[in-house]
Amino acid sequence: MKKLIFNIALLLITAVSFGADVVELKLSKSDIIVIKVMFKNGSICDPSDKAGLTDMTASMIAEGGTKTMTSTQIQDYIYPWAASYFASVDKQVSIFTFEVHKDNLDKFYPVMIDLLKNPRFAEDDFNRIKSNQLNYVDEVIRSSSDEEYSKKYLEDLLFRGTNMQHLVEGTVAGVQSITLDDVKKHYSNFFGSSNMTIGIAGNYSADFLKKITTDLNGMPAAKSAIPEAGKGRQPKDFEVEIVAKDNALGSAIFAGFPMDLTRSNDDFAALMVANSWLGEHRKSYSRLYQKIREQRSMNYGDYTYIEWYNNGGGNMLPRPGFPRSSNYFSIWLRPVQTAKGLKGQYPELKDIEIGHAHFAIRMALREMDQMITKGMNKEDFELTRTFLRSYMKLYAQTPEQQLGYLLDSKFYGRKDWLKEADGLLANLTLEQVNAAMTKYWQTKNMFIAIITDKTEAVPLARSLRDNLDSPMSYSNVLKGVLTPEILNEDKLVQNYVMKVSNINIIDSNTTFK
Amino acid sequence: MMLSFVMVSSIMMAGNNEPAPKKILPYPIQQGQLPNGLKVVTVPYDSPGLAAFYIVMRVGSRDEIDNGRTGFAHFFEHMMFRGTEKYPKEAYSDALKSTGASANANTSLDRTVYHMTGNAGMLDKMFELESDRFMNLKYSVQDFKTEAGAVKGEYTKNSASPYEQLDEKMNEIAFEKHTYKHTTMGFFKDVVDMPNQYDFSLEFFNKFYRPEYATILVVGDVTQEKVMALATKYFGAWQHGNYVNTIPVEPTQTETKYTHVKMANFPPVVSLNYKSPAYDPTKIDMHALDLLNTVLFSEKSDLYKKLVIEEQKVRGINGGATNSRDPYLSQIYASLVDAKDMQYVKDEIVKAIEKMKTTAVDQTTLDQAKMRMRYSFAMGMDSPTSIAEALAGYIWVTGDPESINKAYEMYDKVTPKDLMDVAKKYYVSTGLTIATISDAENCPVK
Repeated sequence: MKKLIFNIALLLITAVSFGADVVELKLSKSDIIVIKVMFKNGSICDPSDKAGLTDMTASMIAEGGTKTMTSTQIQDYIYPWAASYFASVDKQVSIFTFEVHKDNLDKFYPVMIDLLKNPRFAEDDFNRIKSNQLNYVDEVIRSSSDEEYSKKYLEDLLFRGTNMQHLVEGTVAGVQSITLDDVKKHYSNFFGSSNMTIGIAGNYSADFLKKITTDLNGMPAAKSAIPEAGKGRQPKDFEVEIVAKDNALGSAIFAGFPMDLTRSNDDFAALMVANSWLGEHRKSYSRLYQKIREQRSMNYGDYTYIEWYNNGGGNMLPRPGFPRSSNYFSIWLRPVQTAKGLKGQYPELKDIEIGHAHFAIRMALREMDQMITKGMNKEDFELTRTFLRSYMKLYAQTPEQQLGYLLDSKFYGRKDWLKEADGLLANLTLEQVNAAMTKYWQTKNMFIAIITDKTEAVPLARSLRDNLDSPMSYSNVLKGVLTPEILNEDKLVQNYVMKVSNINIIDSNTTFK
Repeated sequence: MMLSFVMVSSIMMAGNNEPAPKKILPYPIQQGQLPNGLKVVTVPYDSPGLAAFYIVMRVGSRDEIDNGRTGFAHFFEHMMFRGTEKYPKEAYSDALKSTGASANANTSLDRTVYHMTGNAGMLDKMFELESDRFMNLKYSVQDFKTEAGAVKGEYTKNSASPYEQLDEKMNEIAFEKHTYKHTTMGFFKDVVDMPNQYDFSLEFFNKFYRPEYATILVVGDVTQEKVMALATKYFGAWQHGNYVNTIPVEPTQTETKYTHVKMANFPPVVSLNYKSPAYDPTKIDMHALDLLNTVLFSEKSDLYKKLVIEEQKVRGINGGATNSRDPYLSQIYASLVDAKDMQYVKDEIVKAIEKMKTTAVDQTTLDQAKMRMRYSFAMGMDSPTSIAEALAGYIWVTGDPESINKAYEMYDKVTPKDLMDVAKKYYVSTGLTIATISDAENCPVK
C-alpha cells in the first residue's frame, strides 16, 4: 500500500513537471539569447528561524558551480564570450537570468542547465557566500544608503510578524543558523519544475526551445507547497519607528500602508495615473516633488509608489522581476536636513530643536489628503495619462527587460502587462481614477520609518508624538526669496494634524538582527 | 537589438590572428556640423518608434577653477530644468511631461549630459524644448536659491555611503592643483554657499553653454536628414562663444599618499589609486591599461581566485581606469572580510602588479581579454539608450564619436609588452594614493 501511494505521487509530480509555463519572445534580428527561469518561491519560503535561506540557495546555484565544474572553472570557460548569469531573489520569486551571444549558445547551454539541475553545493563556496550575505544584513544595509535602509525598514514594520517582514537577504540570526544541508533541502523543497516558468528571448530555433523546455522540465517538482504571502498589518493612526544612528547627515523617510491591489486588477491602471500625478518616481512633474523639493528646497526628491520599486536610488525606470501578490502603498521622502546639520550650516538657526522631517511628512500627507478629497482635474488627468502611455514603452527597451516584464505578467495572470496597461489607460475615465483613489488610498493610518541622527531622534519623536507645530526653518538666504503663497501655505502645513498612536526610537545596531 | 554581421565576424577572426575589422560599432556614425560649430551626430538604429536624444556638454567639475565654487557644473545642470521665458518652469514641466520621454541629466569630471529617450515621433518637440533652454535659459533668484537646497539634499543622501566619503577624501589629497581635487558634488561648504552664487551662475551659462561645447547625438528610429534639419531649425541661431578655460596643470606626484575614513561596522576597504594618463585615442597607453586591469582583476585572474575564492580574505575586488581629459586615476578597490588583512591584501595586489612588470602575460590570456571586451560591448548594445551612452562617453572625452571605433582598433593592437610597459609607467609607488576604510583611527596600510 505504501509503495502504491509513492508511485501515484510520482506520477502526479511527473504530470506537473511537464507543465512548466513557457514565455517566448522571438526576436529575429537579435544576436543575443536571453533566458530567464523564474521560480515562484522567494523569501516568503524561508523557514522562520532561517531567514535568508532562499536567497542563499539561489546564490549557491548561481555562484557555486556545478557537479562537474567549479565556479572558477565556469568563469574561466565563459570568460572570452562575456556570457553572464545571475540570480535575483525577491519576496515571492527567484529568477535566474542567462545572457549569451548566439555564437556561444551551444557551448554555454550545458553549463546553464547544469547550474540549475546539478548545482555543486560545495562547502567552500557556501562559506564564502554565507559570509558575504551575513555581512550585508549585519553591516552593509545599515551603513551604505540611509534611504534604502528606511525603505527596507518600512517593510520590517509594515509586515511585522509575517513571512514578508524580513529582508530578502535575511536576518543576522537567520543567516548565521543556515547550514549547507539547509541549502540542499531548500533547493529540493522550493526549486522545481512545478513552480517554474521558463522565459526565452532572441533568435532561437524551435529545436532549441524544445530542448530547453524538455531539459528543465526534467527537474523534479518542488517538494514543499509554496506558502501564501503574508498581508501587511493595518496601522492604527500613525505608527512610527525612528532608527537612530551615529553621524547621519539627514533624516531618510519611508511611509506606507497595505493595499489590496496589484497589476492583476484593472483598477491598478487607474491608480497608476493618480500615483504618477502625486509622486511619479524621479520626475519633476509630480506634486510632492514640486511642493517639497522645487518650492521649498528641502531635499533631493519626493515620490510615491503603488508597488515595490527596486533600487529607486539607482534606477530611473522600473525594473521587472519583483512581482508580488501582497502589496502596499508607500511615500518616499529623500533625506531632509536634521537640526544638527542646519545649526552647523546657518547661525540664524542655532535655536531650532528639530530638522525638516516632521514638516516634510506633514506636507506630503496634506497634499495626498487634498488630492483624494478634491480628485484630479480633467486636464491633469489627460496629461498624466498621455505621459504614462508613452513613458511605459520605455520600461522594456532591451530584450532582457521585455522578457522580464512578460514573466511578471505571467505571475499576475496577464499575458503582456505593458500592452494591456496601455489598453486600460486608453479606456480610463477621470471618474475611475478618482474612485480608485477613494477606494485604495487614505492618509490617516500609516507606518512611518525614519532613519536619522541620534541627536534628532528624541526631539523628533516628541514632536510627532505630541503633534507639536513644526514650522519650517529656512535659512535667511532662502527665506528672503520665498513667495508669500509658500510661506502662508507653510503655516497650514506646520500644524496639519497627525494622530500618532505609537512611536519608538530604535538603536540602529539592533535592526535586522 | 541587432548586431551586424561585421561585428560577429570580427569576433570570430580575432582568434585566428586575421586583421580585425575597423569598426566595433556596427551602425554608421553620421556626423554633421552647423555653421555655429555645433556638432550633430546621428546613429540610425532599428528601434521602431523610439529614439534617444542626447546633448553632451564638454563642461564638468574639471572646469571649476574658482575657489569656493566647487560643484558648480553639477548645480548648473539642476538649473537647466528651471525654465525659460517661453516655457517657464511649470510650462516646461508640462511640455516635457507631454513628450512622455524619460529625461534627465548628469554631471561628472569632464562633462554634463542631458538626455531624453522617448517617442521618435516627438523628436520635433524634444528639439524645441532643448534648444529653448540651451539658448534662452532664464530663472529667478528664488528658483536659483531653492534649487541649491536640492543639491544639498543630494549631497546629504550620498554622504551616507562610506565609499562617497572615501572618494571625496582621496581626490582631495591625490591632486594638488588640478580641479580633479574635488569631486563633482563639490566640497560641502561650497554646496551650502551655493544660494549666494546667482551672478556667477549667469556667468557660467554665458561661458560654457555655447555650441562649441556641445554635441547633439540622436540614436534610434531616425534619419540624419531629419536630425540635421531639426538641429538647423532649432539650434541654428545659437551664438558661438569665445571662452576657453585654463585648467591648472597637476605637478608630478613624488611619493605615496595616504588617506582614511574611520568607520566601524562596515566591511574594511583597501583602495589603491594610481595616476593614469589623459585619454588619447591615438596612444596605446589607456587601452593597454584597460586590458591590464582586466587581466589583473577580473574573476578569471589569479589574484581574484587567490584572495576571493581560495583564501576568502576579500569579498570583492575590481580595478579600472577612467577615460578623462586630463591625467586622472586608475583605481583598485578591495572589500575585505577582516581588517587585520588590510596590509596583506595591499601587498598581494602590489605583488601581482609587480609581476606584470617583469613577466609578459601569455598571448592567449591577452587574446581572451580582448575577445571578452568585444563580446561584452556587442552584448551591451541592445537599445538606443545604451548605444547613445557608449558614444557619449567618447564624445565628452575626445569630442569625436568615431573614437569609439578607433579605441577598439587600439585594443586590438595591444601586445603583452604594452601591458608590461604601462604597468611600469603608471603603477608606481610615487604615483599612488592609498585610501582605506576601517575602524582604525588612521590609514592602517603602508
